[in-house]
Amino acid sequence: MFKNPRWILYLLILITLLFIPRFLSIHDLMLFEYGITFAIVGLGFNLLLGYTGLLSFGHGAYFAAGAYTVAMIGKYFPQAYSLEILIPAALFFSLVLSIIFGFVCVRHTKIFFSILALSLSMLLFALLFKLYHITGGSDGLRVPLPTLFGMSFKGIRRPEFLSGTYYYFLLIVFAISFIVMRGIVSSPFGKALQAIRDNEVRAELIGIRVRRYRLYAFCISGVFVGLGGALWTFVNGHVTADLSHWVFSGEIVYMTLLGGFGIFEGPIIGAIIFTYLKLYAMGNTQYWMFVIGATLIVLVMLLPNGVAGAVSSLWTKIIKKSD
Amino acid sequence: MWVVYTLNGLYFAALLFLISLGLNIILGVMGILNLAHGSLYAIGAFIAAWIIIAIGMKVPPFFLYITLLSGFVLAGFVGFLMEKSLIRFMYKRTLEYQLLLTFGALMLLEDVIKMIWGGQAYYASAPFDLLGKVDIGGNIYPTYFLFVMIIALMAGLFIWLFMSKTKLGIMLRAISLDREMATGLGLDINRLSTFAFVLGSGLAGLAGALVVPTTPALLGFGHEPLILGFIVVVVGGLGSLKGALVGALLVGFTRSFGIAIFPEIELPLLFLIAGIILVVKPQGLFGR
Amino acid sequence: MGATAMTAGTLGTASKAIGQTKKPIPKDPIKIAAISFLTGAAAAPFGIPGYNTFAMCADVINKEGGILGRKIELLSKDEAGGVDAQVKLCRKLVLEDKVDVILGYISSASCQAILPLADELGGLIIAYDCGTHELMEGAKSPYEVPKFKLGFRSKAHLGIDNIGLALVIKKYFPKIKTIAGINPDYAWGRESWQIFEVAMKKLMPQVEVVKTLWPPLGNTDYTAHISALMGAKPDIVHSSLWGGDAVTYTKQAMGMGFFKNIKMAYSRGEPYPQEVGKDFPQEQIICCAGTHYFLYPPHDKSPLNKWFVAEYQKRYGKYPTYPCYHAYQAIYAYKYAVEKAAKAVGGWPELDDIAKATVGLSFQTPSGTLTIREDHNAIEDVLVGFTKLTPKYPFPILDPKRLEVFPASQVNAPVGIKTVDWINSWK
Repeated sequence: MFKNPRWILYLLILITLLFIPRFLSIHDLMLFEYGITFAIVGLGFNLLLGYTGLLSFGHGAYFAAGAYTVAMIGKYFPQAYSLEILIPAALFFSLVLSIIFGFVCVRHTKIFFSILALSLSMLLFALLFKLYHITGGSDGLRVPLPTLFGMSFKGIRRPEFLSGTYYYFLLIVFAISFIVMRGIVSSPFGKALQAIRDNEVRAELIGIRVRRYRLYAFCISGVFVGLGGALWTFVNGHVTADLSHWVFSGEIVYMTLLGGFGIFEGPIIGAIIFTYLKLYAMGNTQYWMFVIGATLIVLVMLLPNGVAGAVSSLWTKIIKKSD
Repeated sequence: MWVVYTLNGLYFAALLFLISLGLNIILGVMGILNLAHGSLYAIGAFIAAWIIIAIGMKVPPFFLYITLLSGFVLAGFVGFLMEKSLIRFMYKRTLEYQLLLTFGALMLLEDVIKMIWGGQAYYASAPFDLLGKVDIGGNIYPTYFLFVMIIALMAGLFIWLFMSKTKLGIMLRAISLDREMATGLGLDINRLSTFAFVLGSGLAGLAGALVVPTTPALLGFGHEPLILGFIVVVVGGLGSLKGALVGALLVGFTRSFGIAIFPEIELPLLFLIAGIILVVKPQGLFGR
Repeated sequence: MGATAMTAGTLGTASKAIGQTKKPIPKDPIKIAAISFLTGAAAAPFGIPGYNTFAMCADVINKEGGILGRKIELLSKDEAGGVDAQVKLCRKLVLEDKVDVILGYISSASCQAILPLADELGGLIIAYDCGTHELMEGAKSPYEVPKFKLGFRSKAHLGIDNIGLALVIKKYFPKIKTIAGINPDYAWGRESWQIFEVAMKKLMPQVEVVKTLWPPLGNTDYTAHISALMGAKPDIVHSSLWGGDAVTYTKQAMGMGFFKNIKMAYSRGEPYPQEVGKDFPQEQIICCAGTHYFLYPPHDKSPLNKWFVAEYQKRYGKYPTYPCYHAYQAIYAYKYAVEKAAKAVGGWPELDDIAKATVGLSFQTPSGTLTIREDHNAIEDVLVGFTKLTPKYPFPILDPKRLEVFPASQVNAPVGIKTVDWINSWK
């Protein structure tokens, strides 16, 4: 895998990213970090959508699982509130939830699958909302700064934390997620998923256990999304039940489509663009939902392969022309 | 008190039934889950509220029907625009695109409502006040709620008759049962689909127009109805009208009695019911 | 990236703040961000009146020369969009737009999420309308104050409303046996009920709670709730429902004959008689979130209230309601604090100077005197009344013969003591 010349490009990009804090204002850097956490979410989500062909409008549930794990540990077990415990805990709980929900969902496809995924995420939403005394209900919970391997950040403000240590931590986790997902997608398992996506019956015939592999894909995507959710909490400082609402899940789908779900890097690009698009729209007009909605419609009609897909097609055209 | 609890259950069921009726028709005939359904409901509410406020209390009660009609017509019209401009391009595409398109339409329409009607609340309770109260077995009950139940019943009857007795309705059912076969038989799928979408949208608007005398029209009016309609569709079965009725009654009564007995329960109970049905019988009670 | 590097950073900012800087007063305008609900359920009852008042006061202050000669530039922002959007907006306002102060927030949920940002981002935030008492209280009594160095609330919290209701019920209905509650399911509703219940248990321990209901915010069908309440047969029902919810609930309840045998006690009911109109039931117990009522203090006793009501009516055609009074308090708190701080440092004050000056600030408002304490929360008297239809107004007003005003000391917990603990310590 690593012999591919693409990896040189990735390395160059990573090195550029290391220097970003010098160029961006604190506010823009925080936005960028939102983008990175959603990029991790997008990578995971696309394993299910792009590679396995299953559309879930309910992945906010796993985002919420990761995010609330962090917030609840912060509230009830503050002595364990350090990143080296929080991240694995978030991974664990999102995995458990994905297994439970996924088991129910993957027995079906197409619209049934989507409806099931949506309904289950809304069930979690309703629980988070109602269990006010435990979860803070619709008001949510605050997420203070964690410690990392003994390093305490008491006394510094969140913006400094985010533009310092946390940025590099986030970058490392992102890089690892990227490599892991790349590996999964290029592996025989990844190929099997694509076979299932393209022709379920044929895949079954050649011996792929369709339902089981779908469940695996579901769980892996859930874990990635939960990881993104956990990392996101520190940037946002606050979690609310809305994270499990279907509209939030819809934004995850939007991002993935915006970037392009046919290309590996698509969701990453989509996540970054969407973060800025949404904030730009919200900051400049009171009709920002119109902007986002219209953009989505235009996207679906004209650029079904997303931005990355469009760029990739353009690139191919240019190369062809130069022949 | 049990009389009132029952009435409340019927009232809520009536609302749910109307909301899910339109959703189900579109789902059944076109296989599309219209995420913008709540927005159409809201549009119906706003236009009705606006008319009610403009006219005031100085009208005879039959005018109510005009506000209901206005809701139906405007929402149906918006649905028509939606179908012609967006949905029809998505027939060939996959499910993802259809859902995303209606999701985009939802956001768009939300702000369109804001652009037209602004951010304030529209209190349009004249019809509610006009109809007054009635005494049922010693309990005082607003007559308007009975009106809602009657309208819902009439709508249900109308749709049922339409679907089973008219040629157009039978064609729609044919498409929902087997789209390919229907095409093979020469049915004009495109026009019929447009018709189904307009009908479903109009019903959503009608429901909104019907509710608005009981609660002010505000931004976000369509959010909860969409989720409730969704729950009914899931419980009753995709595309099934009988399922919509049974589902609405089940959910309506559970909520009404649930609140009286377990006050904390509210929404999670409804999702729990939906969840259980989904696990046990994912097609819903009467789904295929 | 060791610990020393981080602490050095904070020491740096701290020393800059403590030092007295004799900064000359700038000439450019003061940027004040006013955040309230401009769209959605809370817009008509609170957000828009609040915003109107901010605009009105800014205009009046500017006409009188501004704050220390600097004109106010008001940036109006919408509180809608959810807590996350507000967090991002607040960051943008403080870090990018570099506003001088943020006056805002109606929703308790917004306040809970935003006030911590004051210290996190280093921006001055004055909450003007939200009620949650937990906002400034610590985990246990006694707790350290202030919770947020740069975060303030220019009004008293919901404790006064609910304690006030309990006191009025004890005075006027000493023989009741049962109460119930219907409150929206979020911090505001939960906490309002909590304070009311604790106060009632203390003042009238013989009274039993027969039902508590928690409809979600924005619920449109209260019929099930109304029936459930009627079935439980309470004497008085407490509610912190607000805005469209309060109006919807009241109207549906009216239609179901609720008010024949049951009385409502609305903890923030003051705007609704005006909204519902003539038919709003009489003899209901209404609290004014302080003493904010267009008829109190009586205009002959308070020229400021007389001016305020007249000016608001002239500009906007309606009587001001409690969000308007709250907005007045917030913007004038900032003005007076800046002026007080400027006198202390002899130039334009830094944020920490303004924060220091805000503590102990006490000034006249159209509703009476407002004082902000060391816990960065304000204390107010509270007014509770009974609705009564009079020929002069097209909606029930509060019966002038039975306007119960409880002084601040009776309804606000002392500094550093949790409200619940304080109530439980009453003799």
